[in-house]
Amino acid sequence: MATVDNTPHVNETLPDFVPVESLTKPRRIDLFARLPWLKRLVKMRSFQAFLILPNLAMFYLFFIAGIFGTPVGNRNIIIVFVWILWWFFLIAALVPFASRFWCTMCPLPFFGDWLQRRAIIRVRPGKSAGTENKFFGLWKRWPKALSNIWPQNFGFLLLATFSALLVTRPIVSVIVFSILVLVATALALVYRLRTFCNYVCPISGFLSLYSMTSTIELRSVDKDVCLKCKYKSCIRGSDQGWACPWNIYMGKLDRNNYCGLCFECVKSCHYDNISLFARPFATSDVGLRGYDEVWKASIMLVLAFSYSVVLLGPWGTLKDWANISERHQWGGFGIYAGTQALLALVIYPGLYYLSIRLAKWYARADSIPTKELFLKYAYMLVPMGLLAWIAFSVPLIMVNGSYIISVASDPLGWGMNLFHTAEFPWIPLYPASVPFIQVPILLAGLYYGLLGLNKVGRELFPNPQQRYRSMAPPAALLLGTTLIFMKLFIG
Amino acid sequence: MKWKETAGVLAVVLMLVGLPISLWSWRNIIVPHRYPRGAKIFTLTATAKGGIWTQDPIVGFNYWWRTPTRTNEITVNQGDHVVVRVRSADVLHSFAIPIMRIGPLDVPAGHTIEVQFDANRSGPLTFLCWQMCSPAHGNLHGRFMVMGNAKQESW
Repeated sequence: MATVDNTPHVNETLPDFVPVESLTKPRRIDLFARLPWLKRLVKMRSFQAFLILPNLAMFYLFFIAGIFGTPVGNRNIIIVFVWILWWFFLIAALVPFASRFWCTMCPLPFFGDWLQRRAIIRVRPGKSAGTENKFFGLWKRWPKALSNIWPQNFGFLLLATFSALLVTRPIVSVIVFSILVLVATALALVYRLRTFCNYVCPISGFLSLYSMTSTIELRSVDKDVCLKCKYKSCIRGSDQGWACPWNIYMGKLDRNNYCGLCFECVKSCHYDNISLFARPFATSDVGLRGYDEVWKASIMLVLAFSYSVVLLGPWGTLKDWANISERHQWGGFGIYAGTQALLALVIYPGLYYLSIRLAKWYARADSIPTKELFLKYAYMLVPMGLLAWIAFSVPLIMVNGSYIISVASDPLGWGMNLFHTAEFPWIPLYPASVPFIQVPILLAGLYYGLLGLNKVGRELFPNPQQRYRSMAPPAALLLGTTLIFMKLFIG
Repeated sequence: MKWKETAGVLAVVLMLVGLPISLWSWRNIIVPHRYPRGAKIFTLTATAKGGIWTQDPIVGFNYWWRTPTRTNEITVNQGDHVVVRVRSADVLHSFAIPIMRIGPLDVPAGHTIEVQFDANRSGPLTFLCWQMCSPAHGNLHGRFMVMGNAKQESW
């Protein structure tokens, strides 16, 4: 059996296309130091309430519109504002540039939080097991077996399977969001902190994955201060801030995945040691840490493909199969749902696994466990997946964006004309230019995927030749994925 | 801090109560005040499935499970100012009252168009969908029965 030399070679023949120093030093800008007003803003106790309450009001209007408004999707605010405007804003702006800032203002867990804290703005000092705050409810521990994002993976896949219903029928959106609010509230009464957001919410699942690419991060300024800190008020809370709803100790936080950006730690930290940092896109939090995260990446990528095929593609039969509510072709729907699940859960992860086995063989990397390589190299699917979703969402907003203008004036389809734009016609915005926007986005996904692969490769293989050999099979898979998307978008 | 908490709670309560009240007021108080006093206001919704004109509200929560009541005839009195708010619950329909030379007016799905006329002549005024909207298009017709003064007395 060949042995592997992981030490750096002096006479390296292959060039490194990213300088080593740029990868070893975290490149980040302390936004709180540069913008003191931002720090003052997030330290206000009412900061989160100011964001959530208007969102809650909108959400309530969506509920009313879904129940009492027109059943026609493109004339109902819940469909147009949630699945066209919000979705595009979330995937193309918030996640890449503001991490999980959506979670800061998400109205879904509002009532659960309110019941658990019995406060909207203020902090309750006191004692609830493990914290310095007084919480209400049964305060049970979430089962360890479910402390992962598998429930979110399957939840999102299930929702996505019925997406043709969800994104076109107002009442279906109302039912789904009602279930999410009820589950969030019930879990807050039974379990500790934001169990719903951490382990159940299907939206949180993909936000956690793609927030890794974001250009901002909330971190401790100096990790040593955290290690020496005797209060641990970020995770335990204080009289200034609630214990982290996501159960995160800032001294160990090194990825965006499970930080919901509530900024409670900024308020509660005794040493003022938490700050918001700006950083480069998609090159900071590399490396997935569990099979649940790898499968999430696979599910998201396959769903972006599946949506692009069904919603943007020219195949009427597939559209009929997916549109079960209108066509009632249960056999076709079974084929559609089954193929989608098979692709997301078995075929694509299987192809990725094969690429990793091939990478190990080609690089003769016997000393590195397959599991480690499988988990770490999977990061390449994260920027690729995010940008594939953005590429898929571009035509949605460009073609259907004009609905936003008309629905803003008549949110329930009752014949209102609040801004005199209710009869604004449907005008697709430069539809012919869509592929010219999608292709660079996909190429950017490929570029950042390869960059991530290279960064992880550097950590695993100091020898560039071995590294590039190990990168070749997964890179080929990524390239193939990009080409399939491009073929789909360009035709 | 206590006043901020109170303000937060008040904001939530106001929103939960105020939003439905505002919407109800718009529909039941503000809209009727747009038209001349005494106008007869009807909302007619067309559905392609079964070819039905209905005065039932067709909204998100009942569209899927409930077959609306067909409106075959609407009675008005001679001299009434009639306002018809016409809606489509599904596909593109077209509204016309040929004898009054009203329409055909496109009624796109989810839109509301408005028709006003004075019922000056007694007798039936047939209204119908003017375009081939669905296989049940032929059923999409009904009438305003304008009761003349003599008829009103005998009625």
